[in-house]
Amino acid sequence: MEPAAHQAPGGEGMRGIAALSLPARIFVAIAVAVVTVGIAFHVAMVFLQTAPENTISKRHGELVDSYVYPEFERNWKLFAPNPLQQNVAVHARATVAKDGSTETTGWVDLSAMDGAAIHGNPAPSHTQQNELRRAWEFYVDNHDEKGKPVGLRGALSEQYIKRIVMLRFGPELNGGSVERIQVRSAVTPVAPPDWSDERTEVKTRYTVQPWWHVTSADLPGGGK
Amino acid sequence: MTDQGRYMGVHGLRVRIERCVSRGLTRVTAQALGPYQTAIVRIGFGAAWFFFLLREWPHRQELYGPDSPWSWGLAERLIETNDAFSVLMWSSSDNWFQLVYVVALAAAAAVLLGWHTRAATVLFMVGVLSLQNRSVFMGDGGDNVIHLMSMYLVFTRCAQVWSLDARRAARALRRREAAADHPEELRAAQPGTDAETSAGERSVGERSVGASSVGASSNGELSNGDLPAGEVAGAAARAGGSTGDEAGPRPAGAASGSGPAPGAGARPAGTDAGVGGVVLWTVFGAVLLGSTVAGGFTVGWALFYWGLWAVHGMWWSVQRAAARGGAAVRELRDVCDILANLVHNGVLLVIMIEVCLVYSTAGWFKIQGTRWQDGTAVYYPMNLDYFTPWPDLSHLLAANGVMVFLVTYGTVATQVAFPFTLLNRRAKNVLLAFMIAEHVSIAVLLGLPFFSLAMIAADAVFLPTVFLMWLGRSTAALGGRAGGLLPGRGRRVPLPEPEPAAEVPKVSV
Repeated sequence: MEPAAHQAPGGEGMRGIAALSLPARIFVAIAVAVVTVGIAFHVAMVFLQTAPENTISKRHGELVDSYVYPEFERNWKLFAPNPLQQNVAVHARATVAKDGSTETTGWVDLSAMDGAAIHGNPAPSHTQQNELRRAWEFYVDNHDEKGKPVGLRGALSEQYIKRIVMLRFGPELNGGSVERIQVRSAVTPVAPPDWSDERTEVKTRYTVQPWWHVTSADLPGGGK
Repeated sequence: MTDQGRYMGVHGLRVRIERCVSRGLTRVTAQALGPYQTAIVRIGFGAAWFFFLLREWPHRQELYGPDSPWSWGLAERLIETNDAFSVLMWSSSDNWFQLVYVVALAAAAAVLLGWHTRAATVLFMVGVLSLQNRSVFMGDGGDNVIHLMSMYLVFTRCAQVWSLDARRAARALRRREAAADHPEELRAAQPGTDAETSAGERSVGERSVGASSVGASSNGELSNGDLPAGEVAGAAARAGGSTGDEAGPRPAGAASGSGPAPGAGARPAGTDAGVGGVVLWTVFGAVLLGSTVAGGFTVGWALFYWGLWAVHGMWWSVQRAAARGGAAVRELRDVCDILANLVHNGVLLVIMIEVCLVYSTAGWFKIQGTRWQDGTAVYYPMNLDYFTPWPDLSHLLAANGVMVFLVTYGTVATQVAFPFTLLNRRAKNVLLAFMIAEHVSIAVLLGLPFFSLAMIAADAVFLPTVFLMWLGRSTAALGGRAGGLLPGRGRRVPLPEPEPAAEVPKVSV
């Protein structure tokens, strides 16, 4: 292994820093120092962002965040500390205006439609596997328990959900035009394995969100 | 006596440390380490992103188009708060989006094939960041890894082997050697490059011009990539009478391109690219100028792109100048080469650390989870509707409590242990095989093929050189056999193998 380091490939002989003039060597030395410090800094920042909150990351949190976000973020812990143990489905329904009267549709299980698209699909699309699932996570993270949006992200997530629902419903439903929509989440715990003696009640919990008026901005084509 | 002995001991230690440091410095400056490892990482991520974009082609509007549910307006409001980089935010027009998507696809293909790699990796990164930052909530862990690696790849010499760049460089070298030995024959075979070839024969300095034009002519052969292989083999055979080292007066300037070994022959490939490279560079310059004037970049990104552009231009001209210039400019070229190696090696280290971080943090977080402790964790994802493309298979596997327990514990143990096994080659390889196998099963069972491909590509940075070379040989042999089966094609010589392993620089794997 050692000769490889001393002898550049191709019979070139040593072509390292030793052959350089003094100014060039000084320049290379500075470059080595800069690169070393740069790498150490980068690794430290990335490490502090990933590690649990600790003494150092508390003290330098702002520096870490300003360096790491948005491009060096590492944001997945899909199965940690615990894997998701419940199926989260998003249902939606609408009131449609038809011949001067309005009627309310039944609940449509949008996640089940995603699930159907994923079944038997070796390479599910992000539109099926991530779009609604992650949008709903985004929504829940930025709303309080009463379903009130928190900050800008709350507002953005709400419109995002509306636009996903309207993309899937379309402006016309059951022969009428959609005026308002409502979504709810249906959370069902995964039943404990047969081979465990654990007993969990497998019961779906619904969380219903307020009715939202549909505006042209929520329809496909109104997004710009 | 004892004093002297102590003095000798201290002195000996000092000498040893000095020798160690200088050896280390030589190692990280004289060559871009891990040519096969960085190449497989490049190919892996290029493939992951290329096939992902291809798979999402029918869904591209819904994912990243101006009228996606995560609309252009929503993205604009979010990006105002976090300054993420996306050229898609320059315009909400549909044509612009389509163009960006196609260019991202092309850049991924170029990275995959190693075509003008140093430029292609930059474009690849722009494509990845632009599309992903445009719709952050569409992505998953796989996108995140691709995002990180697309930035790291920009700084690596990842096309030293298994790339069109490397092939072009090797071919140019053979031409140069053939020209030195049998100028008439080559002239007869290649009337197109006649002038340059004889120029190469005439004067040492101008030979690099000949090489450039050969490079340019090979650009046109991109679409039928393996067609000229026979021709190359022929040229090589013609030149075969001479050993590389005796092939006439070697242009001192082409030092970095001297010798067919992968470590050296392909080194300047990205920049020794002749007309194709110049055209690309000019086009990039024009695009950069336009977008800077139009205010498309923040100061930081403008500096970054202009810096890269200047560096690429400088490297090209320094190489040219060094081919005919004096000692000073040759030294400048050597310094540039050293810097590029240094950056490559540093970023390679970052990639390795990043992979270790991914696993160790994943492992540490899991250890804190009750489900990973009681050995049932793996059961749950197999019962999530979003991650069960094959429910029957998943349920079958999840039905065996002991197996679920073993996989659960095995996963945590592997992930936590992985960084430490790097100290032992054999242990590392065993765990690596285990992790790659696990990602393959995740690809199938959880329906996450692109995530898995990205993770395997990241793991591949730790694959042993011997294995990678074997992989390369088998692939080439397979390719040769497949090529022989195509209609209208006789048996042809498989791609010439890059030179022996002895000179391949190794990462500590």
